[in-house]
Amino acid sequence: MTTLDILGLRDTFEQHRILMCFNGPFSASLIEEIGMALRRHLESVSVSPGSVMDVFAVYIELTQNIRHYAREKSLPDELTRATVVISLTADGRYLVSAGNKLFAADGEQLLARIEALAALDKAALKAAYKEQLRQPRAPDATTGAGLGLIDMARRASEPLSARLQHLENGMAFFSLEVVI
Amino acid sequence: MQDLNIAASTSSPSIQTDWSAGMVRLGGDSYPENAFELFRPLLDWVGAYLGSDHGPLQLELRLLYLNTSSIRIMMDVLDQLEAAHGQGRAVSLRWFYDSRNARVADLAEEFREDCSFPFEIVAE
Repeated sequence: MTTLDILGLRDTFEQHRILMCFNGPFSASLIEEIGMALRRHLESVSVSPGSVMDVFAVYIELTQNIRHYAREKSLPDELTRATVVISLTADGRYLVSAGNKLFAADGEQLLARIEALAALDKAALKAAYKEQLRQPRAPDATTGAGLGLIDMARRASEPLSARLQHLENGMAFFSLEVVI
Repeated sequence: MQDLNIAASTSSPSIQTDWSAGMVRLGGDSYPENAFELFRPLLDWVGAYLGSDHGPLQLELRLLYLNTSSIRIMMDVLDQLEAAHGQGRAVSLRWFYDSRNARVADLAEEFREDCSFPFEIVAE
């Protein structure tokens, strides 16, 4: 008798066509390592260079957003923990999903932002992207200043979809799905 | 101004400058968490070069994937070129890409939309 039900886990992976999955604290170097493995895998199964880049880009923006959030809020390392899943949809498109814990109020804002983006077509997304790119940057800002979500929406073949699940103590779990 | 000769890493591009030739070369992927820190020396170098009366400046890019943080900084670099161009300085840019990867050409094209100086996108 093993303590872990590997078969059950495997069934879950098979059922959702999961190629890669990571759960734990993300360091900058881990983001790179997993990213490289993801890229090599996609190249080895002959995905077109453009799609490899889209999947990779969404993975990078998602994971870096999670780290930026933890840093911005000076959250303990515990909250750089995230779950990232790369899988295939039933019709064979790549699905990049990620989830992390955050303050529920921030989660509500993020959800509203994603819903607003979901209503935009590609041309409107491009306009929003260019506008965001031209926003003045605070001298101490280190990030792409909100460009990441728009970039993901532009690379996606469906509107971004998100979910917020409330936890104890004003916290919540935020999940985002991006279909390439 | 000292020339830059920064080797590429997994997530950062190679950066080479040549003051005497008026040339900047960047190549590879760029997705560091803090792109501003990485590109600060380049912004300073380009600012100093364009502030001098040395002559034309040419950028030769073989960049592939840029995260949004890098895109933002690259736009600052191109804004420097655009401003110099507006004052009559000779500046130009050539962005080389692998013809199998149209995403890179798309990326370059979006930058070009905001530039009026000579900006070529060249398939290799």
